[in-house]
Amino acid sequence: MLNINKSVEEESICFALEGKLDTNTAPELEKALKEAIPGTKGLTLDFSNLAYISSAGLRVLLSAQKAMAKQGEMKLIHVNETVMDIFEVTGFTGILTIEKQ
Amino acid sequence: MPEKTVREMNRLERRHFSLAARTFHATLLGSAVLGLVTLAVGLGLYTYSLVRQYITESFSLSRNAAAVLDELVDVEPLAGLVMDSYRGLDDAERAQTGTDAYRARFSAITEREDYQTVRRTLSKFGGYGNIDAIYLAMYDEESAAMVYIADPDEDPETAMLPCDWDPVTREGMKTFLDWNGEGMLYEIEHTANYGWLCTSGMPIRGQNGDTVAFVLTDISLDNLVHGMKNFVIQYAAAILITMLLMGYFVTRHMKKKLVEPINQITEAAELYAQDRRAGVKDIDHFGKLNIHTGDEVENLSLVMADMEQELNEHEEAMKTITAEKERVTTELSLATRIQAAMMPQIFPPYPERHEFDIFATMEPAKEVGGDFYDFFLIDEDHLCLVMADVSGKGIPAALFMMASKIILQSCAMLGKSAAEILNKTNEAICSNNQAGMFVTVWLGILEISSGKLTAASAGHEYPALRQAGGGFTLLKDRHGLVIGAMDCTKYKEYELQLEPGAKLFIYTDGVPEATDGEGNMFGRERMLAALNEQAGAAPEQILKNVRGAVDAFVKGAEKFDDLTMLCVEYKG
Repeated sequence: MLNINKSVEEESICFALEGKLDTNTAPELEKALKEAIPGTKGLTLDFSNLAYISSAGLRVLLSAQKAMAKQGEMKLIHVNETVMDIFEVTGFTGILTIEKQ
Repeated sequence: MPEKTVREMNRLERRHFSLAARTFHATLLGSAVLGLVTLAVGLGLYTYSLVRQYITESFSLSRNAAAVLDELVDVEPLAGLVMDSYRGLDDAERAQTGTDAYRARFSAITEREDYQTVRRTLSKFGGYGNIDAIYLAMYDEESAAMVYIADPDEDPETAMLPCDWDPVTREGMKTFLDWNGEGMLYEIEHTANYGWLCTSGMPIRGQNGDTVAFVLTDISLDNLVHGMKNFVIQYAAAILITMLLMGYFVTRHMKKKLVEPINQITEAAELYAQDRRAGVKDIDHFGKLNIHTGDEVENLSLVMADMEQELNEHEEAMKTITAEKERVTTELSLATRIQAAMMPQIFPPYPERHEFDIFATMEPAKEVGGDFYDFFLIDEDHLCLVMADVSGKGIPAALFMMASKIILQSCAMLGKSAAEILNKTNEAICSNNQAGMFVTVWLGILEISSGKLTAASAGHEYPALRQAGGGFTLLKDRHGLVIGAMDCTKYKEYELQLEPGAKLFIYTDGVPEATDGEGNMFGRERMLAALNEQAGAAPEQILKNVRGAVDAFVKGAEKFDDLTMLCVEYKG
C-alpha cells in the first residue's frame, strides 16, 4: 500500500509518501513523478511516513534524480532510519540530497 | 401459485400450470364475470322497460275507458248504490262474497240500465293484448276492500258481480284514493289469487268532485316473469358459448404468439447447454430461431442470439488466451531452467580443491528472478565470489541479471581487481541502460594461498563474516553506488585476511527483508542469530539454518522477493 499526497507551491512540488515503496507500488510513484517533473524547479519527497523502500523504489528515485538534475533540485526530507539504512547500503546517499528526520 | 418449482413438475403438472392453461382459465373467469354483470344489467333494463310499457298501456286504457264512461253514463248513482249495499252488510255476510246466495241479494242491480251500459262499454276496451281485466270498482276504506261495481268478464268462473269484493292492502288503497292526478296511477302487488299483478286506474268523480269509482285495469306480470326466465336461460347459454369460444381463441392466440416461441427459446437454451458441455464449436441454436411475433418475445430471441454469438466469440478468444498463457508458461519454465543453469549448481563445485568449501542457493519469487550469485576460479590461486541483486523482479530483472552476470564475469576473467571489475561493469551497463535499471553487487577475490580477500561493494547488503572460532558479525564495509546508476562512479576496494576456519556469508535483501503475514521483516538480527545457531557447521548446513529460520518467520505468507545466499569457508 502506498498513498501519495501531492501539494504544489509555485514552481515546486511536494509528494508526501505513506506506506511502502516496493515493486507493487513503485509504478504509481513513477507515473505521478513523470506527470509532475516537466517544468518543475524543485521536487521534494516527504518520507515521514514511508516505512520501506525496495530496489524498485530506488530505481524510481534514481530516474527522478537524473531528470531533476537537469532542471532544478530534488530533495528527500524526513527520511527515517530504516530507509536511510537502505540508502546508505546502496550508496544512494552519495547521489541524493537527503535531510534526515 | 403451485407449491413445486417448475423443475420439480412432471409433464402433466407443467401443462396444468402452463401459460396457455392460465390464459384459458383467466379468459373463462373474465368472461363469466362480464357475462353475469351484463346479465344483471340486461335483466334490469328488460324488466324496467317492459313493466313501464305495461303500465303505460294499462293506464291509458283506464283513462280512455273512464273518459268514455263519463260521457255515456252517470256512474255516481250506480256506484253509490253498490257501495251502500256493501256497507250495509256485516262481516259474516261479507265473508260469503262470490257465493250464489250472496250475489242473489244484489241481483236487482244487474238489471239496471246504467249497469248494463257500463258493462257493455268496458267490454269493448278489454279482452286484447296483455290486458287481463278492465272493470269498475271502488275502495271501502273502513274494511280495506275493493268492491266491484261492474265487470264485463263473460266467463262465469272468473266474472265478478256487483258488491263482490277482494281484500286489499291499506297502502295500495291509499295510493289510489289519494292520487293527485300527476303521472300514472298504478300499483304492483303480489296477490294470492292472481300472482304478480299490475293494477292501474283512473278515478271517476261525482257531482261534488269526490271520487265515486275507479276504472281499473289489471295486467298479470306472470308472463313477464316467465319471459325473464327464458331470457336468463338463453342469455346464460349465449354467454357460456361465447366464454368457451373466447377461451379457445385467446388460448390459441397465446399459444402461437407466446407459449410456443418461449418453448422454442427454452429448447434452444437446453440444446445450447448440451452443446457447450460437449464442447461443440460455433453453437447456433438461438440464431436459428425463427420467431417473428414482433414483440418482446421476438426481441428476447434476438438478444439471446446475440448473446450466443458473443459467447462463441468469447470462447474463441478464451482459447487463444489460454493457448497464449500456456505458451508463456512453457517459455517461463524454460527461462527458469536457463537462468538456474547460468549459476553454478553442482556442489561441491571443485571436489579436488580442499582449501575452501562453498555452497549457494537462489530461489526466485517468480519464475525468473533478478538475484544471482556466482563463483569461479580466475586462475589456480584466485577464487572470484559474486552476489548481486537487480532492481525489480521478474522477466525485466532476469534479462538485466543475465547481462550483468556476463559482463561481470568477462571483466573478472581479464584479471582486474575487484574495484576495477565493478568500474568496468558500471561503465558497460550505464552506456546502454535505457530502462534505468540498476544492480547491487558485492564482489570479492580470494587469494587461496594466503587467505587474503579483496572485495568491493556496489550498494550491496553487508556481508556476514565469521573468523575461526567466533560468531558471525556484519561487516560494515565501504559502499559505492549501485551499478547502472551513474556512469562516472568509481568503486573502492578493501582487504580482509581470512584465517583457516573463517566463513563469509553473502546474500541479497530477500533474506533480511523477508516479510511475515503482518508486514514485519525478518531483519539482520534474526539472520545473524540463524547463522550463529551452528556457526561452526559446513556452509550447506548454515544456509539450511538461515532458510529454516526465514520459513519459520514468514510462515505461510507469500514470498515477495528472491532469496539468494552464498557461504564460503576458508580452510587454508
